Amino acid sequence: MADSSDRFTFQFDGETLEARSGDTVASALYRAGRRIFTRSFKYHRPRGLLCLAGKCPNCMMNVDGTPNVRACITPVRAGMAVRHQNAYPSLDHDWLAAVQRFDGLMPVGWYYKTMTHEWSWHAAEPYIRKVAGLGIAPEPGNGSKDYEHAWMNAETAVIGGGPAGLQAALELGQGGSQIVLIDDQPELGGHLRYRKRAGDVPAAVIAQLRSMPSVEIISRAYCFGLYEGNLLGVLHANPHAGAIERLIHLRAKRVVVATGVYEVPFTFENNDLPGVMLSTGVQRLIHLHGIKPGTSAVIVANGAHADEVADDLRGAGIELVAVLAPGEVISATGSSHVTGIRTQNGEVACDLVVMCGQRVPDAGLLHQAGGKLAWSDERGAFLPVDLPANVKAAGEVTGASLTRAMSLPPKHVPFHKRSFVCFCSDVSTADLRDGISEGFDHIETLKRYTTLTMGPCQGRMCQLAGIGACAHETGRTMAETGVTTSRPPNPSVTLGALAGPRHHPIRRTPMHDAHDQSGAVWMDMGEWKRPRYYKSASCESERSCVEEEYRAVRERAGLIDVSTLGKLDVKGRDAGKLLDKVYTNRFSDLKPGRVRYSVLCDEAGIMLDDGTISRLAEDHYFITTTTGNLDFVQQWLEWWLVGTGWDVHITNVTGGRAAVNLAGPQARDVLKTLTACDLSSKAFPYMACREAEVAGAPALLLRIGFVGETGWEIHFPAEYGEYLWARLLEAGKAYDIRPFGVEAQRLLRLEKRHVIVGVDTDALSNPYEAGMAWVAKLDKPDFIGRNALSRQAEAAPQQNLVGFVMNDDAVPQDGAAILVDGALAGRVTSARYSPKNGKAVGLAWVAAKSATEGTEIQIRVNGSTARARIVPEAFYDPAGERLRM
Amino acid sequence: MMQLFRKQRMWRAHELKPSYDVAIIGAGVHGLGIAYYLASRHGIRNVAVLERGYLGCGNSGRNTAIIRSNYRTPEGIPFYEESVRLYERLSRELEWNLLFSQCGHLTLAHTDSAIAGLRVRAENNQVLGVDSRVIYPPEIRKLVPTMDMSDRPRLPVLAALYHPPGGIIRHDAVVWGYARACDRMGVEIHPHTEVTGVRVARGKAESVITTRGEIAAGTVVNATAGWASMVAKLAGVTLPIVSHPLQACVTEPLKPFLDKVIVSASLHVYVNQTDKGELVIGAEIDPYQSYSLKGTLPTLEQMASYTLELFPQLSGLRVLRQWAGICDMTPDYAPIIGVSREVENYYVDVGWGTYGFKAAPAAAKLLAELIATRKTPKLIEAFSPARFYGGQLVGEKAAAAVSS
Repeated sequence: MADSSDRFTFQFDGETLEARSGDTVASALYRAGRRIFTRSFKYHRPRGLLCLAGKCPNCMMNVDGTPNVRACITPVRAGMAVRHQNAYPSLDHDWLAAVQRFDGLMPVGWYYKTMTHEWSWHAAEPYIRKVAGLGIAPEPGNGSKDYEHAWMNAETAVIGGGPAGLQAALELGQGGSQIVLIDDQPELGGHLRYRKRAGDVPAAVIAQLRSMPSVEIISRAYCFGLYEGNLLGVLHANPHAGAIERLIHLRAKRVVVATGVYEVPFTFENNDLPGVMLSTGVQRLIHLHGIKPGTSAVIVANGAHADEVADDLRGAGIELVAVLAPGEVISATGSSHVTGIRTQNGEVACDLVVMCGQRVPDAGLLHQAGGKLAWSDERGAFLPVDLPANVKAAGEVTGASLTRAMSLPPKHVPFHKRSFVCFCSDVSTADLRDGISEGFDHIETLKRYTTLTMGPCQGRMCQLAGIGACAHETGRTMAETGVTTSRPPNPSVTLGALAGPRHHPIRRTPMHDAHDQSGAVWMDMGEWKRPRYYKSASCESERSCVEEEYRAVRERAGLIDVSTLGKLDVKGRDAGKLLDKVYTNRFSDLKPGRVRYSVLCDEAGIMLDDGTISRLAEDHYFITTTTGNLDFVQQWLEWWLVGTGWDVHITNVTGGRAAVNLAGPQARDVLKTLTACDLSSKAFPYMACREAEVAGAPALLLRIGFVGETGWEIHFPAEYGEYLWARLLEAGKAYDIRPFGVEAQRLLRLEKRHVIVGVDTDALSNPYEAGMAWVAKLDKPDFIGRNALSRQAEAAPQQNLVGFVMNDDAVPQDGAAILVDGALAGRVTSARYSPKNGKAVGLAWVAAKSATEGTEIQIRVNGSTARARIVPEAFYDPAGERLRM
Repeated sequence: MMQLFRKQRMWRAHELKPSYDVAIIGAGVHGLGIAYYLASRHGIRNVAVLERGYLGCGNSGRNTAIIRSNYRTPEGIPFYEESVRLYERLSRELEWNLLFSQCGHLTLAHTDSAIAGLRVRAENNQVLGVDSRVIYPPEIRKLVPTMDMSDRPRLPVLAALYHPPGGIIRHDAVVWGYARACDRMGVEIHPHTEVTGVRVARGKAESVITTRGEIAAGTVVNATAGWASMVAKLAGVTLPIVSHPLQACVTEPLKPFLDKVIVSASLHVYVNQTDKGELVIGAEIDPYQSYSLKGTLPTLEQMASYTLELFPQLSGLRVLRQWAGICDMTPDYAPIIGVSREVENYYVDVGWGTYGFKAAPAAAKLLAELIATRKTPKLIEAFSPARFYGGQLVGEKAAAAVSS
């Protein structure tokens, strides 16, 4: 019962109204005299409270900016701003209600049968869109992030805190089971809270449960899905002041579903008028909110609950005018609110019609779990049967206490265009009959044609009546007609709760702050942030900054943070064997202290990733992968290791190591001031690796040359990241060293024609067509992709990755199309202005017949075409002398 | 318009005849489409369309109804363009409004490499006459004012491939429209008739065995999705297909909020708003192979999370349903259309991955032409089953991560 001592105000459509503590938005509005809560989807008919249980679409409003909120299950709070939706100018006077007068032009499926010419449809569609839809989305950027995710385990999850759920929890709890009890109401007790004749809320049981340490009770939470492996999706509303909703992932060994039943309306003409309510809705208004819902009432019932409801009405001081059987009712009368019921014997005046409708087991979760819903003539319901072993039904959801209140399939269906089955989309019994007569006589096609069960109530109000009408009209039984599939989420659940706190991680290298201080302009690469280039006082545009960085590397020395490279430490007796199997190149014969480049391919010979592999000791290798592919490569290696019995241990050390590439003609001079390691080409040649201290930090030095200059890739513990970065820059000061970013690196490597797998190659590129035949060692006994590669080695290529130099000043964009004789013949993968060449150079895939040295190709630049020439060798230092110096 | 007041059955029920010229397995958009073009373009009307469930119960009713032709390869682009053209006229042709909104289609790029990928498509599209171009934030903002274009998201939107003729259609209506037209021309549609075997002798299919009896057939067509490789096996035909679920969900209706189709490969999500006001949200294919049609919670959470990256104001919007379809993936992410190698009168229209619905009219029309004339139309040459024997794969895989 709402506490009348605690009152506060809230806003409805700008008007200040009073509410009491314990009120929902709907109960407060009803008490304040509001009877029309929504306008219907298609005809804009006035609709009032119906179920008071969040199961029908009749009270959806905008609450504090959120559209489509069920007012009847939303607690009202002081200062809340509630607005109506889908009616103009107001709920009581809605201009679009005039649509009803033209309903003859809008029978079921009318939009399929009209506007079949494109012109008429294109003209009409914008208007149709405008009148469709319900609530209005909030303004951009107004989303709340106060959603949480949580994970729980239970031996037994009990869904539903009514008498059956409580009893089940008590028995299992006493048996020692660890239990989580989920209930969607603010207080336990289920229907006993508002159905006074059904008995008292078992306070003793509740007290006992609350005292049991192995029982956790979560109120105001509903279960929206029972997924495979007994994973329950549970939505907990307002778990604490800081969160709107919390989605609990509840994994339970056993599930007891005690979700009870819900009541559905009868179908008769004008059964949707405000004032025509379900009996449980009326009982909730009376017993939970202390509201007298009307003054004179008619009960429509098949006997089952009529006496109980009559008691409640009398107790609330409502005059009971008549009790009618559904078959006696011809129509409800009234325009904006019910004024009476018309029967064959004349009209009975009233301002409240109470439907003691059929009770439907709320068995969606059981259906989702794999149970079947079988029609029972005796119970007049689809009952859950054939449940999986660890899922049980308890209480009214089993249908045990149901009686056949309706004759189903109905002997007489009052087919009328104002006799509504679906309140969400205004589907009437006449619409169903018409749809069936047009051939949509399977319940699934009928659903899709009429949109029955597809609205916000998810079929709760309409499914049974729809099946009944379908069965009646087709002459089939209810069992033959069957139910539509129950899919989660049911009840519906917000995107916010599903998304949770939306943590999309950002990875930063240990030198991130140092880059920031140096004016880094950032770019995203996978989860990582990398400097694209550095802004400095001496350069204005990106291009000039990149060129300065480029010149530093080509002429003096540059330093780039490559900590984002994937780094895998591979140890064990059979490590070489595994690498031979997975990579295309050979590693078992690599000498300790040497580095080798390789790609790895899938079974079709497609290049998936590349990197360097250094052999540190007989049984110890160090792999680098591209930034975005680390997880994939690690999984790929582990996948191919499974079942071999080989002694190999793969450790991801990416986060633990920082790495830089120090490159340029004076890189050696810079580095030698910080290390005792002999850096001469004799002692430390190209493609060698050494472990040594650099500025006191333990480091692994790889002499490799991605950018085409003498250089060392230095890997060291991440905690030395900023320190070593600073020391290297300091040591390089004398040589005017510069940090360089990804853009300069891309330009430098492009001049060297070094391919970036994933940029210059795609999901169809093999090493032969990419001009990297040397990387595949077909004389190895077996490796992943060998079969396909052997074929490709023999086959004539369809396309080739080639280098090109532009004939004039044009600079193509990455992705530009290549034309030969006007026809599409390929695409540019990378192109940059090359300071070395004074023209743009690039890599491109070109159809094999045109991919020959010296061929002139056309490249689309800004919509027109520019000419380029295919060249066979690198654009810079083709002999590779500089990186061996 | 007059049909508004006429209550006519869309299609009639029939007993199975002993023999048909063509037996088509699968009454989705492809199977019904093939029957429609056989009857309407080639006068072949003694056709049975056999369906295990109800009409359109497979991927025809499970896809997110996106139509577009901004593909990547010289093979894919003209083929899908033909399909868009056919869709544009199809409501009129079938006298049944398919609610085709050519509202425009945007594929978002959140990284440099994604921009380059979109540019490849835009360039190839333009060369081949498809309306498609790369646009940048100021124009994107104008086209989709409700999308978060700030730098607040983890991966801000940097560019988009804009394809004005792309859009969405009412998928079930396409099924029904084809079915009705088929029925009117004498084609028989047999729902709830599962094919359990195909009798093959001397490399030729002789009859189709169904749960309602055996029928002789001059030509057999496999136009199934999700289980295409298993259906093919009934005739001893092997297909290089692996099947993955793809999940989607739909929300409660909102007033007009988004009138473009939004796809983001980096965020593995696509979103559009139907005429009824619901948002339809799709994910990429599940990473594992399965025939399960059940939705999973992690995928639903991922769809929600990425949708809110684009439209954070929708956090209070409720999801009504989640479902899955089974996508038959081929090694090159391109379909398999043509006559099988193993059985001379057994045709396949399968391997449609995530792009079968948008291709239906073109695939159906061209395969009908092949069946009727025995000559392979140029637009489907590249998709022949023979390509897997010669290593002639099509390059759509490169563009496919999320390809709706």
